[in-house]
Amino acid sequence: MKKRGFWGLVVCLLVTVALVAAGCGGGTAPEGEKEIVIGGIIDMTGPTGDVGAPYHDGAKAYVEYVNSQGGLDGSKIKLDVIDYAYDMDKAQEAYNRLVKRTGVPAILGWGTGDTDALKGFVAQDEIPYISGSYSEYLTDITQSPYNFLVAASYTDQTRIALKWYYEQWGQDRAPKVAFVYNNTPFGTSHLEDAKAFAEELGFEVVADQIIDLRALDATTQMLNLKNSAADVAIIQGTSNMTATVLKDARKLGVETQFIGLNWAFDEKVVELAGAASEGYMGVVPFVFPGEDVPGMVDIKAYLDSKGKDFKDINQKFVQGWMSAMIMFEGVRLAGDDLTGPNIRAGLETMRDYSPAGLGAPVTFSDQSHRGTEYARIGQVLDGGITYLTDWISYK
Amino acid sequence: MRSRNPFVMDCGVFTTNYREDMAILHHPAAKLKVLTIAAVFLFLPFFVSPYYVSVANLIGIAIIGAIGLNILVGFTGQISIGHGAFMGVGAYTAGILTATLGWSFWIALPAGGLMAAVIGGLFGIPSLRLKGLYLAIATLAAQVIIEFGIVHWPALTRGPAGMVLPAPTIGGLVLNTDTSFYYLILTMTVAAIVFALNIFRTRAGRAFMAVRDRDLAASVMGINIFKYKVTAFALSAFYAGLAGALWGHNLGMISPEHFTIKVSILYLAMIIIGGLGSVMGAIYGACFMTLLPIVLRELADFFGGGFAGLTHAMLAMQEAVFGLLIILFLVFEPEGLAKMWRNIKDYFKLWPFSY
Amino acid sequence: MTFFMQILISGLVVGAVYALVAFGFVLIYKSSDVINFAQGEFLLVGAYIALSLVVFYQVPFPAAVALTLSMCVILGVVVERLVLRPFIGERVISVIMATIGLSLLMRGIIQMVWGTETRTFPGIFPDMPVRLGDVVVSQIYLWSLAVAVVLLVVFTVFFKYSSTGIVMRAAADDQVAALSMGISVKRIIAITWAIAAVVAAIGGILLGNINGVNPSLAYIGLMVLPVVILGGLDSVPGAVVGGFIIGILESLAGGYLDPLIGGGVKEVAPFAVLLLVLMVRPYGLFGKEIIERV
Repeated sequence: MKKRGFWGLVVCLLVTVALVAAGCGGGTAPEGEKEIVIGGIIDMTGPTGDVGAPYHDGAKAYVEYVNSQGGLDGSKIKLDVIDYAYDMDKAQEAYNRLVKRTGVPAILGWGTGDTDALKGFVAQDEIPYISGSYSEYLTDITQSPYNFLVAASYTDQTRIALKWYYEQWGQDRAPKVAFVYNNTPFGTSHLEDAKAFAEELGFEVVADQIIDLRALDATTQMLNLKNSAADVAIIQGTSNMTATVLKDARKLGVETQFIGLNWAFDEKVVELAGAASEGYMGVVPFVFPGEDVPGMVDIKAYLDSKGKDFKDINQKFVQGWMSAMIMFEGVRLAGDDLTGPNIRAGLETMRDYSPAGLGAPVTFSDQSHRGTEYARIGQVLDGGITYLTDWISYK
Repeated sequence: MRSRNPFVMDCGVFTTNYREDMAILHHPAAKLKVLTIAAVFLFLPFFVSPYYVSVANLIGIAIIGAIGLNILVGFTGQISIGHGAFMGVGAYTAGILTATLGWSFWIALPAGGLMAAVIGGLFGIPSLRLKGLYLAIATLAAQVIIEFGIVHWPALTRGPAGMVLPAPTIGGLVLNTDTSFYYLILTMTVAAIVFALNIFRTRAGRAFMAVRDRDLAASVMGINIFKYKVTAFALSAFYAGLAGALWGHNLGMISPEHFTIKVSILYLAMIIIGGLGSVMGAIYGACFMTLLPIVLRELADFFGGGFAGLTHAMLAMQEAVFGLLIILFLVFEPEGLAKMWRNIKDYFKLWPFSY
Repeated sequence: MTFFMQILISGLVVGAVYALVAFGFVLIYKSSDVINFAQGEFLLVGAYIALSLVVFYQVPFPAAVALTLSMCVILGVVVERLVLRPFIGERVISVIMATIGLSLLMRGIIQMVWGTETRTFPGIFPDMPVRLGDVVVSQIYLWSLAVAVVLLVVFTVFFKYSSTGIVMRAAADDQVAALSMGISVKRIIAITWAIAAVVAAIGGILLGNINGVNPSLAYIGLMVLPVVILGGLDSVPGAVVGGFIIGILESLAGGYLDPLIGGGVKEVAPFAVLLLVLMVRPYGLFGKEIIERV
């Protein structure tokens, strides 16, 4: 037994080593053809894999579609994505792999925590970085000169919601606002500025309710919310957490109007919360599949080529597609010498660049990398999502 | 004793006094080997690309953490699922000192270790009454409670947002590149290894092992088991704290998301696969577990790269392989890589007359 | 008062869900002294199998549940035979690590088969909450409470009267003595794993109906550890009582402490209690006290 085990392991080890050797040898791209490689650090198997995987698919689909249409100004493009499973250790390694070994000039990232953790390296190595996170921590251009936000930051999204709500508010007293979120960098980045803005507008900030992203029950939080008599509550969380909140709020007869930000307002919430999601509002920085915008034609063409339709994708797919689109537009504008600073310069020349209607037009400059301050307000009505406003800003 | 012919393998250890018996390296050949390895690592950044240096940095940090955990689990027989949190304590203490108070990194680093040791010792107190599973779960509670503390003390830790840490400086030199940090980590790792190897030549080290083998018997022999259990917890957490502080300053940023239970489990896996109760085992385990995901990923890229549809399955498979390897190691070689390496060496030492 | 009652009752029904998950831990520990860190993944497998049967193969829900449970019997036996059998009598740390490895392995396989997307059961339990006086409860939680109580009765009767149950208790009490009486301990342990997998699947199906199924559901496996310790690792009634106590405690902490110190107490309170329990009564409320002799 002992003996067999030992040799079994030795063989396993040798096979692994041989495979690695083979893998290292064969990993290089075919020579001759020019290929532009952009890196990706996205969570596909970790705790945010449910939304990370479609985001990744969307970004990859964009690349595939562009290549099938003849490439970016004739060059093939490629997205080299590493799954980091929302693990900071792996994110750091993935970053080093992409920048120091593959040598990518720019990266599509994912979460708030890791984007924030990497922003120092990103600035030092001069790698333009477009993340799936729109955290306020990334907007300070002196601190993070290479991070770009392709949608309104979470703070701006909150401001849009509050401003819009305040304008609709017809009563004499000041409206009461509560914040519902989870205790992670993602969940809390908007709080400080958003609260200040709310008070400035004339809101009364009445409560903070913290809910774990994995929670299956939010009864106590919703009871406390009910006691605080908030008129409106801003949700920053994931679809699952939001569905829990909405269901328990309905159960307890909470009258508060909930407004979710980007990640808390999508098709999944409607599916998970069912009737409880009726009337729920959200800030929508990206369009949903099947909407009538020019960019949807390309997505449809791509899906047709795969034998799929809009039902097989969701908003996160569109978000990934659009993020890749803006990144490669920056690459196109950077010219022939593809370096980080050039791509940054390319991105910074974008003025009111419309990502084919998939999101609000973005503008980058060397003063600001907040792509936009615009988003739309949507509401769940009859189980579908209806827009209440056009693209609006808080200003 | 000397080996006269460099091509003749040693076939045993012969000593005539305690001094020789206690030596870490018994043969001149072994000393030569260690020197060669040290030289290789000293000049590593000159031969390989910065990416490999950055991987080496991660491995170095993992080695320090894993040795620490092995002191507790492998040598003293106390289980801890809170190692990740102790790393967090070290990283945050050092981070608060350097980032908020502006102290020198060279004071903050040991301070981080000491703070982790204090907290680790505190959570080690239940070990007097608890054993095995129950102790494991008590340390799991430590993990959850420390994480909670980090998130809910924003005045000190800046809460969930985390804090940005400055790069350490030495003289006028800022250690903000992979290579400069490499030498810091290399020094710390070597110190950690040498210290750990020496501990087990002292009274405390022998007491640890006695506690592991049978704590009641150890106590009958006059060993204060409470003192040594808590010391082991503190020492282990000290290593964790150092590793955490190094990692934080290497990354330049820490947040509660860096020190989750996943980290604790990863370190446990390192020492089990490397070999419990062996300093070399911790080193092998740290290398193996850091490199494994990278190797699996390269393999997945190599085989699945051409088929976009396979990507997700390939990624999920990496986690499955990770779990499978842990189980296989436990079944076939419970003493880990350290034992395997010894077996291989023994095999060639005696070849071709192995019986 | 209504506030208090609402908190109490919602804590109670959440506690029932914890109890359901805790059963699996207790059963396995009872017969083989193993804490199964992969219990959460067993839950997930059960939920996913049932979901696939209902959604893709259009099997009626009761039939799907029955099919799922029988598949989980096989899963439990296979896992025990392939993974856990070599660890009988091994050190605690090896066993813990083996079940952690098992959980990673299962999670990987689950993600290969079902991906990471959140999937939902088509409305099986009505989502209209039930009103009990001033207190409101979701139907699915009431179902969980009922199932937990039924399982408690079933297991109590099973361990007390059925010959398999008595044999299992004997094996748990002293494996060597049981072996010498001609009891096949291996067979008993295999049966235990099968039962534990079934219980986990029941829990998984109910949990999956609360808020959809995705891999992070498995996290509840870790969250119920305080329940198991509080109740006593080897006590079936302990799992239920522990579940209720922790559920209510969480609820009270969430209701009264959260507003005071800014939230998040709900998740940590059980672990703080856990530390206290371990200091005072390490074997839990109903667990068997082990006296160490030299």
